[in-house]
Amino acid sequence: MDDLSKSSMKFFSDQQLCFADILLPHEVQARIQVAVLNFLKILSFPDPAISDLPLINRKSSNSRVSEGILTDVSWIFLSHSFCSRSLMKANATKAFIRVWKVMEMCFEFLTQEKRVTQRELFYKLLCDSPHYFSSQLQVNRTIQDVVALLRCSRYSLGIMASSKGLVAGRILLQEPNQEAVDCSACGSSGYAISGDLNLLESLIMKTDARYIVVVEKHAIFQRLAEDHVFNQIPSILLTAKGYPDIATRFLLHRMSRAFPDLPILALVDWNPAGLAILSTYKFGSIGMGLEAYRYACNVKWLGLRGDDLQLIPQQSLAPLKPRDLQIARSLISSTTLQDNYRQELAVMMQSGQRAEIEALYFNGYDYLGKYLAKKIVQANYI
Amino acid sequence: MLILKIPSVAAELVIERGDASGLRCENVFLPNECSPLNFSSSNVERLKSGLEEYVLKHRNSLNNKCDSCFCSREKLKISSGVASSMESHRSPGLIVEAVIAISELSESLCFRSSGNKTEVLHFKDFSPSSVSIASLNALTSIDWRSYGLTLVSAVDQVDHALIEWESLPPYLHIDMVIHCYHKQYPGKYKYQPDRHLIKKGVKLALDDLKEKHTGLLLSAHAVKICSYAPDLASSIAGIILSSNDLKFRSKCSTLLELSQSQAIGKQTVEDRIKEKIISVIETNDRKPEKIKEAAPFLFEDDRPQDLDPADLYLEEHAGGDNVFSFPD
Repeated sequence: MDDLSKSSMKFFSDQQLCFADILLPHEVQARIQVAVLNFLKILSFPDPAISDLPLINRKSSNSRVSEGILTDVSWIFLSHSFCSRSLMKANATKAFIRVWKVMEMCFEFLTQEKRVTQRELFYKLLCDSPHYFSSQLQVNRTIQDVVALLRCSRYSLGIMASSKGLVAGRILLQEPNQEAVDCSACGSSGYAISGDLNLLESLIMKTDARYIVVVEKHAIFQRLAEDHVFNQIPSILLTAKGYPDIATRFLLHRMSRAFPDLPILALVDWNPAGLAILSTYKFGSIGMGLEAYRYACNVKWLGLRGDDLQLIPQQSLAPLKPRDLQIARSLISSTTLQDNYRQELAVMMQSGQRAEIEALYFNGYDYLGKYLAKKIVQANYI
Repeated sequence: MLILKIPSVAAELVIERGDASGLRCENVFLPNECSPLNFSSSNVERLKSGLEEYVLKHRNSLNNKCDSCFCSREKLKISSGVASSMESHRSPGLIVEAVIAISELSESLCFRSSGNKTEVLHFKDFSPSSVSIASLNALTSIDWRSYGLTLVSAVDQVDHALIEWESLPPYLHIDMVIHCYHKQYPGKYKYQPDRHLIKKGVKLALDDLKEKHTGLLLSAHAVKICSYAPDLASSIAGIILSSNDLKFRSKCSTLLELSQSQAIGKQTVEDRIKEKIISVIETNDRKPEKIKEAAPFLFEDDRPQDLDPADLYLEEHAGGDNVFSFPD
């Protein structure tokens, strides 16, 4: 009975879903205009007030998990709990004004039909309003506030994702009206994944690969690409050079839909940050919870895992840092983590140690390719 | 005594001439000039009128009101508060009247600035009195910051209390008078000055001043928020003016009570929005804390909205979700 009620609840989880719409520029501008009109109306009421900004809460307390019924993809999404930004709250006034300033700037860009990166936006805001914006992180958070207020995707606001990711291997990518790019001939630098989601949406993809390998680190990606590992085991290599950005997730998701038979395998360091990166590809994130849920993929953990530690020398293990422990605590409290991942995390915490993929080079520079091939062939992934 | 403006008090002036005939001249006159007060005016109205004259005559250093300093009524703002003790109180029948006058004077030849100080005149039972401990305690216990003032010290100067303020604007001066008496006066009644009653009387006078004059005695918090109004107004005006949607711009003009006919510049729109924001801040600053309601949301959602009580960290805190909030 318990299982039955649980499964029936899964049908209703979508009602709790709060999401950011993907909108056209004029639709986003319409929402911003509604915000202005409502603000002015409330300012002119007989009992006037300065309205608060209701933002969808981007905290774990407002996150839910949707467990796929017919598929094996789960994702994190945000529900309808709000927090508010208010002009009148001491120490919060600037945060309130920052939201309006970003809305103003996005509105202008949308009118001019321009697209900007977060970095460009940061510099523009720094020049226009230096008293309000002092760091990239602050700008990024304010952008997420605007996403949470207007409930439209960041890309709809005219803000391009960063162009961080790379692809290499047995896939042909063709932009409209361009020549197809053979990613197996791109060298160790690979094909750069654009931050323009519309462009990524329009890519024509062809592959004869049997696997997709998502690699945490750029250096490992380069080593694998240089050694043409994707020819030994027909595969596609993908990296976001660390924590995955939306564009890389977007493209991976497109690949998973276009080529559903290709298992997606992750190669990350053996530490909480590596597992966090894997989790983000797998479930999405709370920070961008209004949109990231769309790009969750069924990613499996190839390595490094606890049973690989026998392949590396003892001296290559390093102690866990405070940041690792912070990430681990955050992962443990997450409801999405499956049991076998929890066990791996527990082993990490108990040992108090971490290991990097590079430790495998102890066995020779070509060992990495062999390791990968062996694990894939043995289907040694969880 | 002149400040109290007690009716039907006459002063008798007797001059003894020291010559052999021993003549005396007597003259009885009323010290109060023609004043707008009726015989039936209340004590506090009289006190108010008295303090007003006192200030207009530069603390009675002049015979007449100083026209150069007080060329308009707006230069002097005056208010009062009356607190009385209930029958159930341990000393029922006590009355405290407080009158506060705020003068806004620019550079003037006759006015010698007394800096950041206020002499609080005291009267008891219709006579000038010394300053009681209760009164000093009352003055120091008031939350002056909610009126935009910071009290540095309040000391007893025998015939008045001297309050020193921190950084009062140079053109602003505050005068105050407190009168305590028993309602049975002139019947004999012994009582102790009541700190709470005095505090209440002064607060009522301050609230009255704030209520009647927009923008006066704004709390430090409100002043700080007002300083952000130009930037907020600028952002909103920026959105309005960069829109190509004429209907939207027209609706905004209507809401801002701006003329639809001519092209309106950004500065005009910005100034109007700024005025409205500041006006709302000032109006709401006058409301007592308990009545202040949460502001309405910008977008109404038909789902029950769940305000997260843990969301106290707004600017720099990342909460517990560091892992999931790396910059993308």
